[in-house]
Amino acid sequence: MAELSPTPPKGQESIPFWRDGRVIGVLAQIAFVVMVVLGTAWLLNNVNDNIGALGSFRCADGTESFRCGFNFLSIDAQFDISESIIRYEPSDSYARALLVGALNTLKVTVLGVILATILGTLAGIARLSTNWLVSNMAKWYVDFFRNTPLLLQLFFIYFGVILLFPAIKDAIQPFGLPIFLSQRGINMPGPVFMPSFSIWMAFLVLGIIQAQVTWLFLGRREEQTGKSSNRGLWAFLSFVLVAVLGWYVAGGTANSQGIMVTNATRVREFGDIETLVLSRLPVSDLGDIDTAVADGSLSTEALTTASLQICAVKDAPSEVNFTSQLRRAGIPFVVNRTDRLNQATEAYVAGDCEVLVAPQAALASERSTLENGANHSVIAIAETPVRISVPRIEGLNFIGGIKLTPSFAAILIGLVLYTGAFIAEIVRAGIQSVAKGQTEAARALGLSESQRLRLVVLPQAMRVIIPPLTSQYLNLAKNSSLAIAVGFADLWAIAYTTLNQSGRSVQVFMIVMAAYLTLSLSISFMLNWYNRRIALVER
Amino acid sequence: MTTWIQSLQERVGNGREFHFDSGRFIRENITKSWLFTLWLIILTYLTLAYTISQFRSLPFTTGVLVLAWLLTVSLTVYNEITRSHNTLTLWLRNNLYSSITNTLLSLLLVLAIVAAVWGFIDYAFLRASFTRVPEEAQAILAQFDSPGANWGAVLDNMRNLMVFRYPKEDSWRLWFVILYMGALLAASTFVFSQERFRRHRIRQALTGIWLATPVLTFMLLLGVKPVPGRTVDFLIRLLAVLAGLVALFFLSRGLLKRFPSLIVSFLVTVLWAAAAVTAVYLLRGTLVAGLNPDIAWGGLLLTLIIAVFAIVASFPLGVLLALGRRSQIRGIPPWLTYSTAAVFTAYYLYTNTLPAFAAATTIVQQLFSLWPLLFLVIAYLFQKYFKGNVVALFCTFYIEGIRGVPLITVLFMSIILFPILLPKGMEILSTWRVMAAAALFAAAYLAENVRGGLQSIPKGQYEAADAIGLNTFQKYRLIILPQAIRTVIPAIVGQFIGLFKDTTLIAIVGLVELLGVANLISAQTDWLGVRREPYIFLMLIYFTGSWVMATSSRRLEKRMGVGER
Repeated sequence: MAELSPTPPKGQESIPFWRDGRVIGVLAQIAFVVMVVLGTAWLLNNVNDNIGALGSFRCADGTESFRCGFNFLSIDAQFDISESIIRYEPSDSYARALLVGALNTLKVTVLGVILATILGTLAGIARLSTNWLVSNMAKWYVDFFRNTPLLLQLFFIYFGVILLFPAIKDAIQPFGLPIFLSQRGINMPGPVFMPSFSIWMAFLVLGIIQAQVTWLFLGRREEQTGKSSNRGLWAFLSFVLVAVLGWYVAGGTANSQGIMVTNATRVREFGDIETLVLSRLPVSDLGDIDTAVADGSLSTEALTTASLQICAVKDAPSEVNFTSQLRRAGIPFVVNRTDRLNQATEAYVAGDCEVLVAPQAALASERSTLENGANHSVIAIAETPVRISVPRIEGLNFIGGIKLTPSFAAILIGLVLYTGAFIAEIVRAGIQSVAKGQTEAARALGLSESQRLRLVVLPQAMRVIIPPLTSQYLNLAKNSSLAIAVGFADLWAIAYTTLNQSGRSVQVFMIVMAAYLTLSLSISFMLNWYNRRIALVER
Repeated sequence: MTTWIQSLQERVGNGREFHFDSGRFIRENITKSWLFTLWLIILTYLTLAYTISQFRSLPFTTGVLVLAWLLTVSLTVYNEITRSHNTLTLWLRNNLYSSITNTLLSLLLVLAIVAAVWGFIDYAFLRASFTRVPEEAQAILAQFDSPGANWGAVLDNMRNLMVFRYPKEDSWRLWFVILYMGALLAASTFVFSQERFRRHRIRQALTGIWLATPVLTFMLLLGVKPVPGRTVDFLIRLLAVLAGLVALFFLSRGLLKRFPSLIVSFLVTVLWAAAAVTAVYLLRGTLVAGLNPDIAWGGLLLTLIIAVFAIVASFPLGVLLALGRRSQIRGIPPWLTYSTAAVFTAYYLYTNTLPAFAAATTIVQQLFSLWPLLFLVIAYLFQKYFKGNVVALFCTFYIEGIRGVPLITVLFMSIILFPILLPKGMEILSTWRVMAAAALFAAAYLAENVRGGLQSIPKGQYEAADAIGLNTFQKYRLIILPQAIRTVIPAIVGQFIGLFKDTTLIAIVGLVELLGVANLISAQTDWLGVRREPYIFLMLIYFTGSWVMATSSRRLEKRMGVGER
């Protein structure tokens, strides 16, 4: 019998350990770790040497510790920040200054993302327009902004456009709209929210629920009867109904706004103001003032002295509420603005003005501080949940409205235009990625154009659009750090000032990196969550 | 309404039959939905208002345009009704006048575009000054109420914009580089496009020259020259080095042909490394850099140097990072990870936590003193997400960390933090630091692009490479990377365009590249406050550069058949 089981060739029983993938892997990684650790230790050692000389990690007791490195955050910052969402003064700490910067970055990012999405979507759709001019204009917009550097665009917008706007008295008003372009930046109308806005807000939420219910109810009836009803319109109308109702209820029940006048003026309610002002004018009706001024029987100085003199706190909603009612009634007025309420009260007591405007509660407490409070009375003033405040030039300043400083306008416009071009390409590619057969099938089913877009094209396009859109939002957030070039006080600009002033370079860089990483990660987390929700469910 | 159209159709159609349904026309163009009607009304109002306002400012041009619009619209409508389109009206019908809204929109846009283009021509040419003498330029611009562009500022500063402070006596180096690159590009375009040179010596030689080009160009631009008085010495040494390298080349080729084994190829590699070290040692001290890049480099030259360096250097680094992030080597086993973590935890718990816990007054401080437990958490996460793979961990952290922060902070870090990371007394020029920062930054983005390409390679390719007995290096070099990189060429070129545009950011950290020079122009006493003109010129440069890159990428894609296989 021959050997049935041949002996295995020698040396093949086991792999030698130096050729074993598992062993090599672990050894290589250990070598890698040792290298990384040694490199890091070398760098840290250098940092220790260099920083030790600077003393930025020194504790109060003279020892060096990592923990003490961040103590500088509670020192006074002592630099001013031109614009801030929260209250900030140079005597606040570095930590608060950095927070102001972070909030400014967040403001630019959020506004930029919203506006760039709108612009990009419009441009992307325009790119697919059947009109040759529209699609080519969109193409040129996209090509130009994608192929030139953002920083160059920002410099051009800031130094080449916004800073060359005319002085405040010659402010440009495009198309006669109440938007003012001047060296001070952009001033435009904006909403002012009164205290009763919260009540109206509740009605708005109610209205949305109501619209939803109407939508669902009509949808069910459509299914049962087979007859189509215009349910979009009905849902919208029901929402508008609730909103309008809420507007009047909120405005009617609100009783927070007031004015304080001396009893000598004999003003008991809003309507008496007209009588008071008319009694000082040589005309019998407020509508005649303009003609009187025009024919010279009333000088402008006389009109100013006869006007209602108002004391108010700067940028307070109460003033907007009161003056917009005066303007509607045609009553001339002059406003004397102060920074704080007690200053306004002092001016009122000194006789600089006859009316003090503020919330009723504040007025009541101010009256109690007056010597002869009984001689003054507080009168309720009507309010609406939202007042539109329109900017006006008074002297050398803009009063009211929303102000965009030149720096903020530059960084916002620059980011929106640049990112919008990228989003336009994403939107176009997303819409074009939906197969033509889908559109034809939708038409064959008899769907209307809006139904086809809403139910067939968009859901499929969104799957293609969302992932690249995420990275564009991330780019926008990161590019907002270029604000330093146009002097907007964003996180990086303030961190840089902090770094130069305090000399704590390592710590400041750690804070900034952590902040930007947090921002980036939270944006990508939110959009990834949304992406998972709309992603194709594969079986 | 229907009747007069029908009668018109009958009259002009010479008896042919027509199907114009005016009811359908109105339904499709006006009363499609209430939203559409609203849009139509708004558009009509806008067009009317804009046309009237344009009539005020540019009566003649607007008149001509409106007349042309009326004429072409009526011609198109007439041809549409009679169904006798010619090429022009058919194009107009399809592209500009396909519906009432499009017709109105076309007029609005034509007026707006003509106004904008006319405004630009007016600014850039008609009311502009082209003289390089500042006084003359002021006199020319003073004639106009709103003066146009002052191009003299750009023309006068052309050398600054191009090379800034590069010494005039060294200009020949730049011209030489330009000519050399031009010749090399022309030669390689020709050779690489010819199929008969596919495995030819010439092509191999060209590849070698291309590999040496970055180093040579770099040395030229740096003004490298022999130390004064040692020129002959340098030439002798250079000849010796070259001769040695040639000898080594033939020796290694012979060796590899005679003994084709792994050990010999390893030996040859070691030999080459030793030769490189020897060459550097021999030439050391005979050459000196004639220029300080912080001072001599600037303008477009610096922009190009940084962009090209970042592109070239980030490529190998990015590929390595991508491979590292996807590396499948067996990780550190859990028992080792956990036991190491446990040792650390125990040590710090004993030395750090015990005293701190005892001293803590609030529960928050007590909780904080338990921080060594984080070692165990980190060990768990490391095992869960990276399977113990340290290389993947490091690469992932590097890539995501760099991608999460803005470039400007990385650049500032290279300027401010880099000196702190180096030993005392050691200094590196800011140009080198910024170049390194740009390359390290670009590598992270490139790695993600390459990773995308790697993910698109089917598993079968890896298995096939293993099956035919290629080792890991050969597998990636011959099979995986060529396919992976080919698929992501568009993405990589897009990233390079981004990098080219991002070089503007180094103007903020204080190096005077193109944008830095443009900013300096407005501070010159001759051209005080002239800002728009240099910026417009820069936009032209960047637009052209990006456009060239994008176009050649599209050509390359077509040649390599991206997306076709």
